[in-house]
Amino acid sequence: MSELASDKPKNGKAAAALTLALSIATSPALAAGEQRKIVGEEYTPTIWIDPDGCEHWVMDDGFEGYMSPHRKKNGDAVCHRSQICGVIPADTLFSTNGHRISKSAREQLINFFQNADAYGFMIYGHTDARASDEYNMALSNRRAITVANAAADAGVRVIDVKGFGERRPAVQGNSAAAYTQNRRVEIYCAK
Amino acid sequence: MTMFKATALIGLGLLASGCAFVEGGKRSGAGRSVDAGTDAKHLSTLVAGIWIDPNGCDHWMIDDGVEGYLSERLTPDGRPVCSGIAPPNTATGPFRDGSTIPDPL
Repeated sequence: MSELASDKPKNGKAAAALTLALSIATSPALAAGEQRKIVGEEYTPTIWIDPDGCEHWVMDDGFEGYMSPHRKKNGDAVCHRSQICGVIPADTLFSTNGHRISKSAREQLINFFQNADAYGFMIYGHTDARASDEYNMALSNRRAITVANAAADAGVRVIDVKGFGERRPAVQGNSAAAYTQNRRVEIYCAK
Repeated sequence: MTMFKATALIGLGLLASGCAFVEGGKRSGAGRSVDAGTDAKHLSTLVAGIWIDPNGCDHWMIDDGVEGYLSERLTPDGRPVCSGIAPPNTATGPFRDGSTIPDPL
């Protein structure tokens, strides 16, 4: 037990003992019967939503204030979709598997970017779940870059461009309607 | 004994100079989601500006009187947003707008 109290195992033996003690502590046999004593205080945060629509944990402890981004365990930020300032259905811009756009579509995009009243833009491409993950990542990236090029032609600042393939669908399911909604380019406006 | 007196005097001095604005006290549990002290607003109403770190990336910065808050601005997949809205080591926007408590420091 003395190994548990030491925070710096001095040799391999001490480290092994610590690992063993931890594995015993988390075994179901102990969890079922005995209780583990934790020295701590309740600190329940509330949520502050930043101007981008993303959540942060926040606590006011009297004189101190604490804040940290709300992330999922995979590192994603927890953000509200209502803050997306433009969603372009991919079918209106691109042919199947294509990433080039017509002159008139490009002019419409330039018009959108020049009138969006934002400091800069984050542009993200998405596909449906047909074809391979790898193919969809590349396709959505090419499409996002096409839209970002129109933003550059409009003379606005592009902060971030990325393709997410089929990994971040707008709606769940494998229906034709779901796939249509998931084929899109999203534009976030930074103000 | 002398040390105790000095501590007590410093405490009194702090109270005398800023008694109208002193916040604090024992907080616990859900009480921590409300601003302590004079304005006692819910923390969801905080107003932020942007601080640019030395690498050029954005953080939300809030000066709420006694408390200061700082938290990263992130892309939806959790990478830093480095917008270039201002040079590194600067703060911009309404980060002092969230509170009427004066900030003497």
